[in-house]
Amino acid sequence: MRDLVTCIIALWAFTSIAQNKQLIYGVEEIPQSLLLNPGGKAPQRMHFGIPFLSHLHVNGGASGVSVYDIFGKSNVDINTRIRNKIFEMENTDFFTATEQLELINFGWRAKNDIFFSGGIYQEFDFVFYFPKDLAILAWEGNRDYLDYEFDLGEVSTTGDFMTVFHFGTNKQITDKLTVGARAKLYSSMISYRSTNNTGTFVTRLGDGSVNIYEHTVQNANVTVETSGFASLRDLDGASQVTNEILGRAFFGGNIGLGLDLGATYDITNNLTASASVLDLGTIFHSNDVESYQASGTYTLDGIELIFPPLVDGQGTLPYYDDLEDEIEREIPIDTLTNSYTQMRPLKINGGLTYKFGRIVGKGGECDCRNPGGSIDRNQSVGIQLYSIFRPKAPQTAATAFYYRRFTDYLSAKATYTVDPYSSSNVGLGLVADIGKFNFYIAADNLLRYGNLAKAKSLSLQLGFNIKFDEE
Amino acid sequence: MKKNLLLPVAAVFVSLLFFACVKDTDFDQAEDIALTPVIELDLIYFNLTASNFFDSINNTPILTVTDTTDIRFLDDAQIQESLRRADFYFKFSNGIPRSFQVDFQFLSETNDTTYTTQTNVTQGTPQDPVITEFEEVVEGDDITRLTAASKVVVSVTIPSSNETLEGTLNLQSKTTYYLEF
Repeated sequence: MRDLVTCIIALWAFTSIAQNKQLIYGVEEIPQSLLLNPGGKAPQRMHFGIPFLSHLHVNGGASGVSVYDIFGKSNVDINTRIRNKIFEMENTDFFTATEQLELINFGWRAKNDIFFSGGIYQEFDFVFYFPKDLAILAWEGNRDYLDYEFDLGEVSTTGDFMTVFHFGTNKQITDKLTVGARAKLYSSMISYRSTNNTGTFVTRLGDGSVNIYEHTVQNANVTVETSGFASLRDLDGASQVTNEILGRAFFGGNIGLGLDLGATYDITNNLTASASVLDLGTIFHSNDVESYQASGTYTLDGIELIFPPLVDGQGTLPYYDDLEDEIEREIPIDTLTNSYTQMRPLKINGGLTYKFGRIVGKGGECDCRNPGGSIDRNQSVGIQLYSIFRPKAPQTAATAFYYRRFTDYLSAKATYTVDPYSSSNVGLGLVADIGKFNFYIAADNLLRYGNLAKAKSLSLQLGFNIKFDEE
Repeated sequence: MKKNLLLPVAAVFVSLLFFACVKDTDFDQAEDIALTPVIELDLIYFNLTASNFFDSINNTPILTVTDTTDIRFLDDAQIQESLRRADFYFKFSNGIPRSFQVDFQFLSETNDTTYTTQTNVTQGTPQDPVITEFEEVVEGDDITRLTAASKVVVSVTIPSSNETLEGTLNLQSKTTYYLEF
């Protein structure tokens, strides 16, 4: 378990709004853009990714705090800075980390002009909301917070590690409209979630009560659901745990099903709208499931001594054991092995692109095969919206972009993104097509690269593909 | 021209990624991070009536009554390491027309006395109970002795008693724990 926590922290430390790939969305030169919009345009005849190198995406962020906020050199005591941050942050602030590594990716255009694509990628996704009240309680204690109801329901976190097998189809069905759909099979290796919790904890001065205070847990209902953890407990050492988890990559754990949908519509020959819905799906956790649920209401007021007449050699009453039993009875922690279903975090992309500049590629003003469709030009500007549904609320980001194709070999996209982390997120992506070799790299929050410690979020995507263009 | 453009742009971009750095930070400060919560927690309470101090069957006074409870959280390894100070607060409300001596004896698992404290409670009347407050601040080396204990013995001693004695002795108590993690 400790190894796992170390892994999670390490991943978090090394790595924007989670999974927002604003730099790749809509960039037709990158085959992986079809994973962001199955209804995007695929100009190539065929592509395959270089195994394990075709797409790497790492991303991490904290909406309310940066490393610099805590560890920056300063005359202010670090504990004062942490305390100030705890009070400054809200319970809607979050920490998140995502990592995706593509194992296989391929695609080809069939004779009926349908573009098929498929592949396998591995995904790690983690989000943890800042439980402000519990942080205050841990940092300050309850002495200065008498009568304050600490909200236990602020605990909200999910984590998943899975392999995704996908296969999609994409077709231009009219001159203006391209649509696509992608089926996904999720193979969950390890998963946990603790969401929709409720309850409060309060310490009140007793008013006519038996002791000085009343410590009350009110209507608690806190649940942690896990799948894939229970069987790890008996294993010995990190290597065994790693082997066991990776052994589940190919349907060894729990299975889920999902769907991506998308479309691109050319409104005029230089204005294009697109949208996609990703991971409309569910994972069915039935193997190796263990869930813990604590619920109830209890008031603690100390231990009452009743001074029973003592017979020699006989002890008094087991007050402390009785108290422990009473708490366990009133707020029982049940361990359940019921299977549960988990919705995948749904993601929505939308974009509007205006193309201008020099006409590039095939198809000109009078391309008879493409009478109403858009004409590729070497520059475009546009806006994109991204939203991911997280336990507490959707996290949304808005992006303005400028795209330019410098040569047939090189294109670039610059983005300016406003999201919960910051309103000064500038990103840059480059795509190089050298012969049949396709390489892309994209990173955001570039303004922060001068000092990463000040960044609240970072994301990086890169990959290598082999592409065969249409004859 | 076309190729001339590719290299510089790519080089600048890639170097940006490579020369990204983390600066003006001092991670050694992590050593100084300390959580210092102050926790208020109820301790024990009781209600003793005057009749507790007289054995009506044998017609003899009972001058000392004693009771014991485990307080096992106190010698928890985490508490032993993190407790810096403990302020005990005892509030007696005495409606018995006698003064009392109350002893608190903290015992280890093996019943060795590790820490003791004592207070006197002023006498009152059933109609007009008298409040006696007692505070005991434990810190420094005494904390080590206190956190060696896992139970507390409470002894209440009355100077004299008879069967006509009336009234109630009530105790409420709490502890303020100053922790540092």
